[in-house]
Amino acid sequence: MGNLTESNVITGVPGSERFVQDFEKGVLQSTLKISVSQLNFYYGPRQVLFDVSLNIADRKITALIGPSGCGKSTFLRTLNRLHETIHGTRMEGEVLLDGQNILELDVVRVRRRVGMVFQKSNPFPKSIFENVAYGLKINKMGGRGLIQEIVEKSLHRAALWEEVKDHIHKSAYSLSGGQQQRLCIARALAVDPEVLLLDEPCSALDPIATAKIEDLLMDLASTCTIVIVTHNMQQAARVADHTGFFLLGKLIEFNKTDIIFKNPARKETEDYITGRFG
Amino acid sequence: MGLPAIEIPETALRPVSGRGLQRRLFDYLGWGLCTLAFLLLGSAMTWILVVVFLRGINALNFSVITHVTEGTGGGLLNAIEGTLVLALGGIMLAAPPGLAAGIYLAEFDRGRLAPTIRFLADVLVGVPSIVIGYFGYVTMVVALGWKFSVAAGSVALAIISLPYICRTTEMALRQVPRALREAAYALGASDGRVTLGICVPAALPGILTGVLLALAISVGETAPLLYTAGWSSYLWTGHFTNEPVGYLTYVIWAFITEPFESAHALAYAAAFFVTLFVLVISILTRMVLDENAGWRRLRPWEKRKP
Repeated sequence: MGNLTESNVITGVPGSERFVQDFEKGVLQSTLKISVSQLNFYYGPRQVLFDVSLNIADRKITALIGPSGCGKSTFLRTLNRLHETIHGTRMEGEVLLDGQNILELDVVRVRRRVGMVFQKSNPFPKSIFENVAYGLKINKMGGRGLIQEIVEKSLHRAALWEEVKDHIHKSAYSLSGGQQQRLCIARALAVDPEVLLLDEPCSALDPIATAKIEDLLMDLASTCTIVIVTHNMQQAARVADHTGFFLLGKLIEFNKTDIIFKNPARKETEDYITGRFG
Repeated sequence: MGLPAIEIPETALRPVSGRGLQRRLFDYLGWGLCTLAFLLLGSAMTWILVVVFLRGINALNFSVITHVTEGTGGGLLNAIEGTLVLALGGIMLAAPPGLAAGIYLAEFDRGRLAPTIRFLADVLVGVPSIVIGYFGYVTMVVALGWKFSVAAGSVALAIISLPYICRTTEMALRQVPRALREAAYALGASDGRVTLGICVPAALPGILTGVLLALAISVGETAPLLYTAGWSSYLWTGHFTNEPVGYLTYVIWAFITEPFESAHALAYAAAFFVTLFVLVISILTRMVLDENAGWRRLRPWEKRKP
């Protein structure tokens, strides 16, 4: 799989003819990891996502920005079918993972391939080791020695190993907030996901911990496709290759990050980025 | 640090008269009423405990726990054994369905069954315990022919404990944050794994509290046992049916009205033991919930006190 080239970046406005052309062209490219088309989403009778179509490039960082309550997190949850754990939700449209409809795949397998890190760190009431090993154990991946090895490797990848290597069997709650969040990243990485979804992973962290996690994301992007929801526009500008702007449940604009920030096509995007609302 | 100091006008620090006085009066009144309520409750409880413990300790001697009851004298070994057997039997019967029902209510029910189960559990809590004794007598002792027995007594106690275990389990599981479940789901865990591997361990202190509460209730019950366990002055020989069994609350109920000093002493000693059991179970429960006892580290989302 090569890099996303200029020719298959979607440049049109969603719904426009240009967009549809670009989109269809994009779907045919093998560089796409996830392809979402005409996604509508409902909590009970309330519709929260309207006709969202979006392509996510393989081994790139895609950021989703937008004001609170615009559907970014909901959108993220449809990518690993986590919305199904909430009663009364309904999804229309198609999400393709490597060209396969995720609704037709086994849900456990989808969630193993598409990992997730949440806004608030949520380690299990177990030891640091057991937290990282949990995904391996429930997915029956590897014996005892292999699990040891993968746990260590995952903690290394999440840049946490040096800080915890001497007390790996202590409670996960003995760690600081930033360490807990990196532990959650290590836990998600342990099952070796192809895609990592992050839902505002830094919103509860201080700038130093945030910087660590951003560095980490840029390292991870060489092996893993990353989708990050963020309220922090500087963060999107710093880490993302592509950025999508959501407003009131609609994807307003999606493009390369520097185009979104320097030369947005839509007035709403410009207003949001320059801080005129939101 | 470079900022100009802020002048606080002296008037801002002085209490406001008028309204301030009124507030202080209400404050005193509130504290007064609280102290009164505390003294009322506290003195009633202290009175009960002092009477039970003083009389109990006076009636205690070594033979009380080494001998069985003989007529209205002797010891309480048979009753202590019976109480433990019945209470443990009741918990062993009530805990599995109670825990299962609580887990089902909290985690799995999506339909109309849950309100029905909750309503039935609440009704069961409200049924007078003597009615459960009578029910046990009619169904198990007579109709099934178990006679007065450990089996009938344990089942009666289990019926009484069941709703407590069920509802406390449900409540404890509902307090487990959604974020924990989502983290497990996001790693590909099934509903069963999320519930048993993540939620139940996180809710364990609350669940244990419910089971211990049910145990305390079982130890203190009298009415349901009168019609199901009967009474026996002998040690239990291990038969579950057709063999009546002794228990402490019977001794209190029956012996306190006998005209013999020895019977009174046994009743006091029995009251002492029952109170002691319940007290020990309550203290155990508090320890389970106590943030200093180490369990709290499993529930960090509840803020620690500094």
